[in-house]
Amino acid sequence: MSKYYGEFGGQYVAESLMNPLAELDKAFREAIADPEFIRQYNYYLKEYDGRETPLYFAEKLSKKYGTKMYLKREDLNHTGAHKINNVLGQILLAKRMGKTKVIAETGAGQHGVATATGAALFGMECTVFMGAEDIERQSLNVFRMNLLGAKVESVTTGSSTLKDATNAAIRYWSEHAEDTFYIIGSAVGPAPYPEMVREFQKVISVEAKRQIIEKEGRLPDCVVACVGGGSNSIGMFSEFIDEPSVKLVGAEAGGLGVETGKHAAAMALGKAGVLHGMKTYLLQDENGNIELAHSISAGLDYPGVGPEHAYLRDSGRATYTNITDKECMDAFLELTKEEGIIPAIESAHAVACACKLAKDMTEDQIIIVCLSGRGDKDINTVRKYLNGEETNK
Amino acid sequence: MNRIEEKMQELQAEGKKAFITYMTAGLPDLDTTAKILKAEEAAGLDVCEVGIPFSDPIADGPVIQDASYRAILNGTNLTQILEMMEKLRAEGMKMPIVFMMYYNTVFSMGLENFVKACAKAGVDGLIIPDLPKEEQQPLQSVLDEEEGAPILIQLVSPISADRVPYLLEGARGFVYCVSSMGVTGKNVNFGKQIHDYLSSVKAVSKIPVMMGFGIKTAEDVLPLKDALDGAIVGSHFIRLMDENNFAPEVAGEYVKTFKEKLNND
Repeated sequence: MSKYYGEFGGQYVAESLMNPLAELDKAFREAIADPEFIRQYNYYLKEYDGRETPLYFAEKLSKKYGTKMYLKREDLNHTGAHKINNVLGQILLAKRMGKTKVIAETGAGQHGVATATGAALFGMECTVFMGAEDIERQSLNVFRMNLLGAKVESVTTGSSTLKDATNAAIRYWSEHAEDTFYIIGSAVGPAPYPEMVREFQKVISVEAKRQIIEKEGRLPDCVVACVGGGSNSIGMFSEFIDEPSVKLVGAEAGGLGVETGKHAAAMALGKAGVLHGMKTYLLQDENGNIELAHSISAGLDYPGVGPEHAYLRDSGRATYTNITDKECMDAFLELTKEEGIIPAIESAHAVACACKLAKDMTEDQIIIVCLSGRGDKDINTVRKYLNGEETNK
Repeated sequence: MNRIEEKMQELQAEGKKAFITYMTAGLPDLDTTAKILKAEEAAGLDVCEVGIPFSDPIADGPVIQDASYRAILNGTNLTQILEMMEKLRAEGMKMPIVFMMYYNTVFSMGLENFVKACAKAGVDGLIIPDLPKEEQQPLQSVLDEEEGAPILIQLVSPISADRVPYLLEGARGFVYCVSSMGVTGKNVNFGKQIHDYLSSVKAVSKIPVMMGFGIKTAEDVLPLKDALDGAIVGSHFIRLMDENNFAPEVAGEYVKTFKEKLNND
């Protein structure tokens, strides 16, 4: 497999990481070709993670919006989101490579909690890099990680958020690659990370495709997922990319509106650049300095996007739209009240997007929404939002 | 001829070691940066690395990260730094200048525009730590097309191992050996391991080999003298400047002392 997706992707890293990346690439390819590795991975997905997750027919929403809406319930995974799928794959690979320590970056803390969980399960030492700002905003997840035995390293450089935590993790990795495995949580980073994250998230669409054929006897007309770095969306798209009749739609975080400049829609403005080891679309100023992302959802608060998404956008295979904080919160409340499912604010972006798309669809058409996570972690943000308090940095 | 290559030949002919410092541009402002560069040239600095501030310097340690961040807050950008360079050349500066920068800064300006601007401003070399050899082709081909374009300096790390011959293929100017830590500004134990690492690079390199990590004084590198052709001081130099209110004479004095010790002891 190439390191590039069209002009995107690549390995824009320090020379000291080129050999570790080569070692990782080789180990990854050997592992996914090894039936025993796949058997182990599937074992943990089933017995530990609780897969497969249901493909739920949202009857009331379907009736309201006049099209068949199915929810892929990734919120029912152990730890409450799709992140664990990838962590289990990467941590099994880390073990196989003889690494004894794992590190991760985290923004909202979901990937950090998933990594800390995997590390506890497999008895590995775990350090999670997290921006000082995020540590304050997500103190509950910091406590969860600590309970799970992980060390949370506060990152105070730059903007003290996810991008800086990622910088810190890359720096740490380049110093300790010999015994340390870097578990990247999103479909970003230098090759082979974006490909690896897709490999360990594709289970979402492998199941969804089988489930929809069982239930409806045909493929969906459209699948929708939210896009920050793009891990749940690449997992949701994966098995449908080669099915041209299925429309793929990604919902980026529009924050206060793309026109305000306070958003996280890296693809909306379409300026390519290089960050965190990859060439992709980035939020950046006229000097090429990376700008801060803004979103009510901490998990979408990232100034870039996975390189495969950049490629899917340019090739026209997938379309990307953006959903504002308000649209997403309306969808959050609607799903909660209509279906009794409290979604993660990230996932509510996908729900909002699906409701918009449904308006142009007929009663017998089918749309699948990736409900990537549950909303328990967001309750404080939602309360603030409903009280009219500041939720957006 | 490229000023860096010219300087390297001159030093080799004299049997001398090179001394190089790194300074982030725009601290506290570009006028001061220009004064520091002039003072360093007067003190006999062989090559000067000028850091172009970037928001996400992933190959740098805390000192340079912080310097970069402050320079951006001051409003420093590449266009202004190129203007400063052009002015310094017009005023007669002959010292070879290397820009140390991240690839997004280059990419954002556009490869052609960037290379033309560097040639015009008299920039002699580029160190781009997040542009490994495998990703250099697009930039290299633009550099090859432009008369008087800077040369790309290659970096080698202690775990480059089997990659070293590949990295040195066609390398120009000097080879920059980074630390085992991979990140600038870390404390280093100047022991046998480092000596072996530098010797292994020197054994296969046709161009001078520079050590660029953890150095504070000439005494640090004296035990390694036979394994290197020069020393680069970055984080320590910035700290020194910070502590002395960016006084150009302190920079000059530091360069003079380091150079004397490096070549006379």
